[in-house]
Amino acid sequence: MEQQIYLFGLNHKTADIEIREKFALSGFNPNNDGLMDKDGLVCEALVLSTCNRVEILCVSNGDFDEVRAKVLKEWAGYCRQDQELLRNHIYSFKDLDAVNHLFSVAASLDSMVLGEPQILGQLKDAYRKSVEEKTAGVIINRLLHKSFSAAKRIRTETAVSSSAVSISYAAVELAKKIFGELKDQRAMLIGAGEMAELAALHLLNSGLKNIMVANRTPERARELADRFNGQSMCMEKMLENLHKADIVISSTGSRTSILSAAQIKKVLKKRKHQPMFFIDIAVPRDIDPDANLLDNVYLYDIDDLKEVVEENLANRREEADRAREIVGQEVDKFSDWLGSLDLSPTIVDLLSRGELIARKELKKSIRSLGPEVDQATGQAMEQLAMSLVGKLYHEPIVFLKRRAREEGSSQKFIDLARRIFNLDDEQIPLDAHQSKKGKKQ
Amino acid sequence: MLTAAGFGLHSLDLILKYALGIGEILTQSQFYISLLAWSFLLIYFFLWWKLKLKFLSITAAPLALLVFTGSLAISPATLPIPGPMQGLWFGLHIGSLFVSMALLAMAFGAGVTYIYLNNKIKTKTKLGNVSKEIPSLQSFDRVNHLAVIIGFPLYTVGVLSGFIWAAFTWKTIFTWDPKEIITVIIWFVFAWLFHRRISGAWRGKKPAQMIILIFILTLASFVGINFFTETHHSLRP
Repeated sequence: MEQQIYLFGLNHKTADIEIREKFALSGFNPNNDGLMDKDGLVCEALVLSTCNRVEILCVSNGDFDEVRAKVLKEWAGYCRQDQELLRNHIYSFKDLDAVNHLFSVAASLDSMVLGEPQILGQLKDAYRKSVEEKTAGVIINRLLHKSFSAAKRIRTETAVSSSAVSISYAAVELAKKIFGELKDQRAMLIGAGEMAELAALHLLNSGLKNIMVANRTPERARELADRFNGQSMCMEKMLENLHKADIVISSTGSRTSILSAAQIKKVLKKRKHQPMFFIDIAVPRDIDPDANLLDNVYLYDIDDLKEVVEENLANRREEADRAREIVGQEVDKFSDWLGSLDLSPTIVDLLSRGELIARKELKKSIRSLGPEVDQATGQAMEQLAMSLVGKLYHEPIVFLKRRAREEGSSQKFIDLARRIFNLDDEQIPLDAHQSKKGKKQ
Repeated sequence: MLTAAGFGLHSLDLILKYALGIGEILTQSQFYISLLAWSFLLIYFFLWWKLKLKFLSITAAPLALLVFTGSLAISPATLPIPGPMQGLWFGLHIGSLFVSMALLAMAFGAGVTYIYLNNKIKTKTKLGNVSKEIPSLQSFDRVNHLAVIIGFPLYTVGVLSGFIWAAFTWKTIFTWDPKEIITVIIWFVFAWLFHRRISGAWRGKKPAQMIILIFILTLASFVGINFFTETHHSLRP
């Protein structure tokens, strides 16, 4: 029977966190943990286990029910859980549906937060592990490489991963729109809540160097400031230091507003009207909304930021439809390749490519001989070229045929031959292999 | 890239023309307009180098193209350049005014974009895909700053050298030429902006609005007066 691609898995849609925890497969090695044992049912396997999804991809000669039973048994066995429980929560895909699902996962179309970038890295790690453990073969190799390039294509051709979808990222993006690079800017946290901390962390990751923390309890201010390598102060000193801050993140628990528009106006004058960006994530609000009416002051409260995030998410969802079209195209391409992994189309491709080269060279040579070449010479040259092609490709073809006869599966060699003679006209980027080497070191 | 290539060829063209007819070229109106187009690109590249701001090609390239094609379209007229003084004062007059005009043009583009983007951020409207590509507000304000800080002194030098030149040539400083009147008005507006800007009282939106106004006035005086009225600034055939 021909080899088939199967995919079994559970994710945040089919199983909640408790189930996902129970069936996590980190550390699972298909070779040692029974999935790829001597019966040879599963020839290639890849295991992806993250907090939002656990998936097993395998290539097998067996039929669907057989492979599914085996996977369920080993999976539940490894986790010491009940097979029935697992059966109720998994989805299974076969062949091109499995390919489609994998491509969608790689492009983060199946993620909880649509378009989040981590999943691609996790998939790359899973693939690296399968290569190290030698559970990936011709098909999984190709499949994963194609899923990476499909994900890359989607990232560049659609906006599915662009624009911030968390409140703190949205704030950082706005800050960049106002100030450009943030490396010369200074931020002040008023109130040292968790939200403020997160936003400050994002700012620091975006290049900001200097952070001040003002808080009602000085200990907490100091603690936070130390973590960010910043400067701490008590609340009373806040106003007199405010003019040094370009970005202000306010999140106190105060019941009344702590900064009026008039105060901000004064501060602005003190800093010669350099722009200020206020992010008010406190409820009730800390900063007088009228401050936004001042020139060079930009004030966003939590609702404004939520709206930005909502719009960005809606934008991503729209883009996801386009991304799915790309996935479809890539799946078609993969399916073409899969079909070509048989012996006869490869032989046909090999000979026709050879003939193509021969005809090209023949034309060139005849032209170089000038216009007075007699027909006999032309024919002789054509014969020479064609027989050279036949002779040169004879040995590789015999080799492939023999392997096919002796080992049952000659996919490995067919794939190799297709690559050596470049039968699929692939454009391989110059650094493709270098980067792989670099990672291994 | 294309802009750079165009700029290179354009420089070559100007140098060749100059070299071929050193005396004659200076009397041709075409040459001056072409030179103005060239200054736009010169300042664009200066700002690119200084502020790493490529975005302004959106103003520089079309403007240079427009002015350059304009220079080809007008029939070559010979200007009566009064003889003895054409050297230093005249060169200073043209050179400094053209560079400050080019600075104004770039600041005009920056100002329009600043107001557009500022408005979007202020009113919290969605930043579309176009707005995402636009650089930060701060970078446009820096263009404005440079244009005012460098542009105003140059403008002053240009105007003064014009008067001095006039004093030598026509034996009178102020001829009540419409161009001169509007220039003096622009100079006062520009001086006000310059003062507010260096004192730190204005930043962002107001200087952007002012520079737009000043650029439109200069453009009006350049196009309107040089081409449609009969004065000694006229470039008409």
